Amino acid sequence: MEPRKGYKSNVWPDWCPGCGNFGILTALYKALEELNLDPSETVIVSGIGCSGKTPHFVNVNGVHTLHGRAIPFATGIKLSNPGLKVIVHGGDGDLLGIGAGHFVALGRRNIDLTVILHDNGVYGLTKGQASPTLPLKVKTKSLAKPNIQQPVNPVLLALSSGYTFVARGYAFDGMHLKNLIKMAVQHRGASFIDVLQPCVTFNDVYTADFYRKAVYKLDGDPGWDPVVKTPEEAGIKLLRAIEKSLEWGDRIPIGVFYVNPHVSAFEDRLGERLKGYPSINPSNMVIEMDGKPVFTQALFEKVFRDFIVKVSSRREG
Amino acid sequence: MLLGGPQGSGIETSMWILGRILVSKGFGVIADREYFSNITGRHSYIQMLVSSVKLPRSLRYPVEILASMDAETVFTHFTELSEGGILVYDVNISSKRIEEIPSMEDATRERIARVLAEKGVKTSVESVVEYLERDRRVLPLGLDFSSLLKALSEQYRIDSRAVSKFLSGVIVSSVAVVLGLDEDIVAAGFRQQFREREELVEQNTMLYRLVRSALSKHYGAVRLEEPRLAMEKVMVVTGNDVVAIGKIVAGVRYQSYYPITPAADESFLLEKYDNILGENGEVIGSVIVMQTEDEIAAVNSAIGAALTGVRSSTTTSGPGFDLMVEGLSWAGMNEVPIVITYYQRGGPSTGQPTRGSQSDLFNAIFAGHGEFARVVLSSGDHLDAFYDTIEAFNIAEKYQVPVIHLLDKFLANTVTVMTIPDVERVRIERGVLTRGGPGYKRFSLESLISPRAFIGGKDTVMWYTGDEHDEYGHIVEDPEVRARMYSKRIEKLSLILRDLPMDRKLRLHGPSSPDYLIIGWGSVKGVVLDAVEYFSEKGLKMSYLDLKLLWPFPSEDFLRITNGIPDSNILAVEHSYGVNIAELVAMNTGRRIVKRVSKYTGRPITLDELIHGLEEIVSGKKERVVLSRGA
Repeated sequence: MEPRKGYKSNVWPDWCPGCGNFGILTALYKALEELNLDPSETVIVSGIGCSGKTPHFVNVNGVHTLHGRAIPFATGIKLSNPGLKVIVHGGDGDLLGIGAGHFVALGRRNIDLTVILHDNGVYGLTKGQASPTLPLKVKTKSLAKPNIQQPVNPVLLALSSGYTFVARGYAFDGMHLKNLIKMAVQHRGASFIDVLQPCVTFNDVYTADFYRKAVYKLDGDPGWDPVVKTPEEAGIKLLRAIEKSLEWGDRIPIGVFYVNPHVSAFEDRLGERLKGYPSINPSNMVIEMDGKPVFTQALFEKVFRDFIVKVSSRREG
Repeated sequence: MLLGGPQGSGIETSMWILGRILVSKGFGVIADREYFSNITGRHSYIQMLVSSVKLPRSLRYPVEILASMDAETVFTHFTELSEGGILVYDVNISSKRIEEIPSMEDATRERIARVLAEKGVKTSVESVVEYLERDRRVLPLGLDFSSLLKALSEQYRIDSRAVSKFLSGVIVSSVAVVLGLDEDIVAAGFRQQFREREELVEQNTMLYRLVRSALSKHYGAVRLEEPRLAMEKVMVVTGNDVVAIGKIVAGVRYQSYYPITPAADESFLLEKYDNILGENGEVIGSVIVMQTEDEIAAVNSAIGAALTGVRSSTTTSGPGFDLMVEGLSWAGMNEVPIVITYYQRGGPSTGQPTRGSQSDLFNAIFAGHGEFARVVLSSGDHLDAFYDTIEAFNIAEKYQVPVIHLLDKFLANTVTVMTIPDVERVRIERGVLTRGGPGYKRFSLESLISPRAFIGGKDTVMWYTGDEHDEYGHIVEDPEVRARMYSKRIEKLSLILRDLPMDRKLRLHGPSSPDYLIIGWGSVKGVVLDAVEYFSEKGLKMSYLDLKLLWPFPSEDFLRITNGIPDSNILAVEHSYGVNIAELVAMNTGRRIVKRVSKYTGRPITLDELIHGLEEIVSGKKERVVLSRGA
């Protein structure tokens, strides 16, 4: 299919040559093209850091927000206009450090959002401090001393928080990552991709060379099936995914860890409260006519009758 | 009157029932709720003023009726009962001593014990009652609460452990009997409160009969004048209620919040009314009420919602606002219309979570890094708060700025009678909108207000960033673009000051060339207006200047209005230590107001103490008065 729009903006990506972000951006362009998403109905929301610049390089709506807060912004955008495809890009410091609370909250809600984690183990824009995914005792070249904090496991955290699509990709396996992004965007519910991303400038431990040797594909095993077929199967599939998520070191699995389409999306839960939602939603409701509210005086007094007290006619008799 | 008892025992219910009964009889009512940060057991009370001649707008001591559920209420408030007043109490607690009340704080107990010792009164309830009767000509009405409740539980076979929920009925009934309110109207009050739960209406009405027969000699002991207010139907609302109602009318369709006192009730109400039904029961709108994981997510998700063209808001108090500040700065940078409803409470830190304050004036105006345009509005009473809520969204959207609607706990929790708003008068102004289209520039420099398209608009793509940006919303560090974008954002403040009509900025109540001018903002309005009225009757020309638009500060209007009034004849009143409005005036106008009335106990300024304080200043005895009345 011919892409109907060019997804590349005319802003020059100012990442370091060889940065893993280029791989992620290329995979994103390809995924958007193949999904043929309407740029005006697509939103990329990012946090702060190198990955935070992603929206400027893509010719769809872009919201470059605050450090750690991309998920809350995306939440407001998506719930107000559920017709939009909303993709969050953030770094590991952003999503799992300063923004970890929001990351967990999204899993609990299962809002139909896609979160792409640019996972490079360092805070690049501030010159390479240890991030929440850098393992204990590792000393990258920018650190004066080895890391004394334990890492958080992004896949495990996503699984335990309630994300219903959890995957891991590698920035320089573009075709594989593109397919993961497509699946994640098409999944209805909170989807998450942990993207292993070399930082050429500051992380000399988890390099492209390291990842090329370590990563292997989950679907290389014909017996691997991460999709929950029936609700009863969810527990066992989740346990298997958790077990897989613990693999790290010489062999690092990439691919889809877990997919559970049986959990209600937050939009469905809202639909049980709000009549007509999501087809009738905040972005398409009429709130004024000719500069007047949708309430007449009579309707106002009807809707808020519980607050109205009628004064009994005085001095009767 | 004052109604008191342990938190969780139904004091608030008593207030609603009595309030509605009195309003339906044609009286004006205002009531303040005072309570601890506690679920059950701590002392809470309602101070209520009933008027037959006007809609009351302030409270005052002493009270005519003190209705107590427990000994703590008697000890805590007996000094506030007027000479010749009425005390309702439970005879079963007569022998209770102040040392035996664990819920009372030590400092309070010691202070009251000292007062009792000075008066030569022993520390038991019966001694206090005797003192009140003997020295203060108080009529003590002792009721046997447990016998009343026992009689009720026997008649209706209510589990004896469940009868405590009828304590509110005892309070309502005893006050109703004292005020000479008959069974029909009291039963109607119970019915309005308990709605479908007919058995509760019947049981409480039975309780009324029992109380009435116990107090038969005192039926109508306090004669209320025939009400002279011309009103047919009115609203009885809290400040939280009226803001929520205003938001629904304003067209708010996304509200986020994280639970915090005294703001959360507003979101509760929005949730209750989240499906807005039209004349024929059809859905004409709905509100997403989003309880987020923290206030950071609250403000940022509201900003996200606003980007899609939705009127959105979040609601909080001081500690939560502090967490929102980075988002506020982002909204300023990106010219996003959002409204933050900010109910102040006592700070700093957790401070006094359930008590009132106006000490966050500067926080609302100055919080946030960088320079950007914001608007801060205040409301003096419930009806103002309704219209101002809608105005806040109009300003936010017309000028594409974050708006902070700065209220406080006093307004949030005060129940009052309010005339029904004139909804036909309400305007919804959404500002300069465009459909966008290819090549759309969200931050076009062609005009101060760039036409706004929404994310999701057909064939339109736009970018937002917290970085300095070009007209498309892409990051830019070019010094010339920086300067143009920067000034564009800030110059909107002058436009706002030029555009807004005078009465949205500040309102003068009283003569334009008074002997004394009081300035203030927000919830001091009612009590100051009553004080102004008092002094006017005494022949002193006094006016009140209610500052509604706190930022941008309407300096020119202020200077024009105060022209000819020397600084020495201007007084400022505020629920804070600093009376910071005077500093704001000095900063913006160069006028130095040193005469200040301050209160920072967390309790509302009452009319009696304000009059006294103003007298001290006007008579030249003092320049600064600190008020402290109320338990």
